[in-house]
Amino acid sequence: MGVGNAGVTILDLLAVESPGKKGLLVVNNDPESLSASVVTERIAVPEGDPGEGFRAIDGEFGRAVSGASSVVLCGGLGGGSGSFLLPALAILAKSHGITVAACVGMPFSFEGRDKKELAEGALEKLYTVCDAVAVIENDRLSAGAPSTTAVGEAFTLSDRTLLASFTALHRMISTLGPVKITRSDLKNVLGIPGTRTFFGAGMAGGPNRLHEALEMAFKSPLLSAPGRTTPGSALTGVPSVLLLLQGPPDLSFAEVQMAVSEIERIAGESCQIKTGVHTDLSAGSPITLSVIASSGGARRPEKPVGTRVSEAAPETDGVPPRVEVLKAPPSVQGSSAQTTTTTSRKTSAKMPAITKQTQGTLDLDTYQRGRFDKSERTIVAGEDLDIPTFLRRGIKLTPPHRN
Amino acid sequence: MSKEQIFVGLEIGTTKICVIVAESRAEDQISILGVGETPSRGIRKGEIVDMATVTECVREAIVDAEEKTNVEIGNVWVAITGSHLRSFNNRGTLILPHPRQIEQADLDMVQTNAKEIALPPPNTFLHTILQAYHLDGNRNVIDPLESEGMQLEADFHIVHGVKTRITNHLRCVEALNLEIEDVVLSSLASAQVVVTQHQKDIGVLVVDIGGGTTDYLIYLDGAVRHSGVLAIGGDHITNDISVGLKLPIARAEILKIQEGSATDPDASEGGVITLKNDPGFLGCDIDRRSLGTIIHCRVKEIFELLKRDVENAGGDLLGLLGAGVMITGGCARLRGIAAVASDVLDQAVQVSTARNVGGALQTFENPQYSTAIGLTKYARLITKDSHPEGMLERIAQGFGGIFKRGSR
Repeated sequence: MGVGNAGVTILDLLAVESPGKKGLLVVNNDPESLSASVVTERIAVPEGDPGEGFRAIDGEFGRAVSGASSVVLCGGLGGGSGSFLLPALAILAKSHGITVAACVGMPFSFEGRDKKELAEGALEKLYTVCDAVAVIENDRLSAGAPSTTAVGEAFTLSDRTLLASFTALHRMISTLGPVKITRSDLKNVLGIPGTRTFFGAGMAGGPNRLHEALEMAFKSPLLSAPGRTTPGSALTGVPSVLLLLQGPPDLSFAEVQMAVSEIERIAGESCQIKTGVHTDLSAGSPITLSVIASSGGARRPEKPVGTRVSEAAPETDGVPPRVEVLKAPPSVQGSSAQTTTTTSRKTSAKMPAITKQTQGTLDLDTYQRGRFDKSERTIVAGEDLDIPTFLRRGIKLTPPHRN
Repeated sequence: MSKEQIFVGLEIGTTKICVIVAESRAEDQISILGVGETPSRGIRKGEIVDMATVTECVREAIVDAEEKTNVEIGNVWVAITGSHLRSFNNRGTLILPHPRQIEQADLDMVQTNAKEIALPPPNTFLHTILQAYHLDGNRNVIDPLESEGMQLEADFHIVHGVKTRITNHLRCVEALNLEIEDVVLSSLASAQVVVTQHQKDIGVLVVDIGGGTTDYLIYLDGAVRHSGVLAIGGDHITNDISVGLKLPIARAEILKIQEGSATDPDASEGGVITLKNDPGFLGCDIDRRSLGTIIHCRVKEIFELLKRDVENAGGDLLGLLGAGVMITGGCARLRGIAAVASDVLDQAVQVSTARNVGGALQTFENPQYSTAIGLTKYARLITKDSHPEGMLERIAQGFGGIFKRGSR
């Protein structure tokens, strides 16, 4: 369900990318945005006082969600519609006895302080109602983007990311088989206010699909702890991880095992890994792997960029929880995944001491496999062993002297 | 019919395809009659990536061997490696309803029990190697047959791998109408000729570093205790040189063989290696220390990974190796490799070639051939074990009749 202007935009994206997808619904109080939407199921909230407009749609909304067991709300906070409608709809849905998950975008700070405050207030309300909340902070996403990034591009990235997290949440909550992530698992990871959530996803086909998808997911900026070169390092020490593997029917048991053990290796043995496996894709399609983890325990404050997450101390004041969500959406894996990776790298570039290592790692993966470029990767303990050892160790050589 | 029997070992390696034709001799000995060999194409890290090309290469190697030895090759023993191979130790237990003499069927049963373990679905068993029998708590019974007892236990080292990859490996042999006698883990084959029974008893680590993979195997108390495959080999060193010094692969390979050394470059003298102009290659000066660094880093890493794997297997295996480490395989010829291995593993390390083998001497003094020669030795041992009746019985069963010398 897309709520508010941003929610409508995102569901439009989804509807265009996967035509025929059922159960999409847009709700807005802006008739223009609604009529322009490609999603056919719409509920228009009368303009004016949100409280009243909202009562007006109670019946309509009730019919729309009847028979559903869960709803995933999606929208941007900070605006006029999403900030009011999202918490209100969440309460309404909850009153119908439905599992409610929300994924919301927090505004850029340049959009104004009042927008931000409005958004934070709404987020707190959402946490009290929803079973699971995933938050994308636009600020963090754009923090390290090159200064030349167009404004439009920054918003596109944010929309894309929101869409990606939306689809992943939706998949997780729809509990398809054969291995399910239960709703209580979801609640344990995403339902605790004040936890920091990490999100990454990857998609790959071909003989080495699992490793490639894992690598892509781990490289999502929000899965790499700032200042750490190892992909996926943000997962180190988290108490629980949700892993969703979606693939064609030939997705093998060994592949699932491999994914779990790789995550366990990074996250540590005490980490609980809840795995969901969906094998409902058509044969030959690539596998999609999504990882969500929460820092668990007390709230993590928003530290200046460059502070390691693990060092962040619990905070007690009223700063709203930060949940970071990022995924490289399947359809844009080329462009978007690249952009977001760059973002993360640039972010860490603000820490001079660690910058060098970061860049070293980046170069290797793409160019230095040499003759093994097309062969199956040999990845041990997160290192691609086909890349020359001296490169991975960052050892400088004297270049050959041409006669 | 002479009592000699002929065994053919085929190793489809990343660098070369090698066929060894050997003849059985008295007391488990073998004697090499000849070697067929072709450079490999279509193989990466020990696994086939281009079936048609590999099949052609195997055919050339077989024909080469047939021409050199004048033996018509019909049955072969094939070595297999690849990063998909895994191993573990497991114990099978059989409890009889009442004490009685142990029969062959009981031994088979206990082996079946040990294999009752859920492998990942794509995998299949490759080897179930006996480590020891225990009878009614009496440990390490050598042969429980006909002893009386009630509780029979047996420890096995079990090797398994992805079924399709194993069958692909075999398919290019079958395509040539060759009969496959058995498939043998590369390191197990190599170990048959590079270490002695005594070394197996007191504990030894055999490391076979080939072009695409590093295969290793630990013997302790005369039994296989651990084995593994690392998908890194000499190819990686060559590739590292090629990437690091910006040389074509072929050039990098030559440089590795002629000038390469795994010795710690800090300890070696510097200097410059001048590469001459070639058509399509502009000559250049290579810093010897840089070359050394590239090779040293990689070789050290191979042994570090190996060490980590052995340590993860538990039981402080490295601490129990009385005979240290034996390195073989094509990469064993790299200068300084034993010193690096010794540093990392903290063991006495030797480079070893096939021993206790008779015949074409020049052949087996090259560690490249350890696996293929080992296959024939393995074949000799197995054939004797499973057919105590002797040759006549075996021929009656329809085997062996094809091994007629001079039929071409």
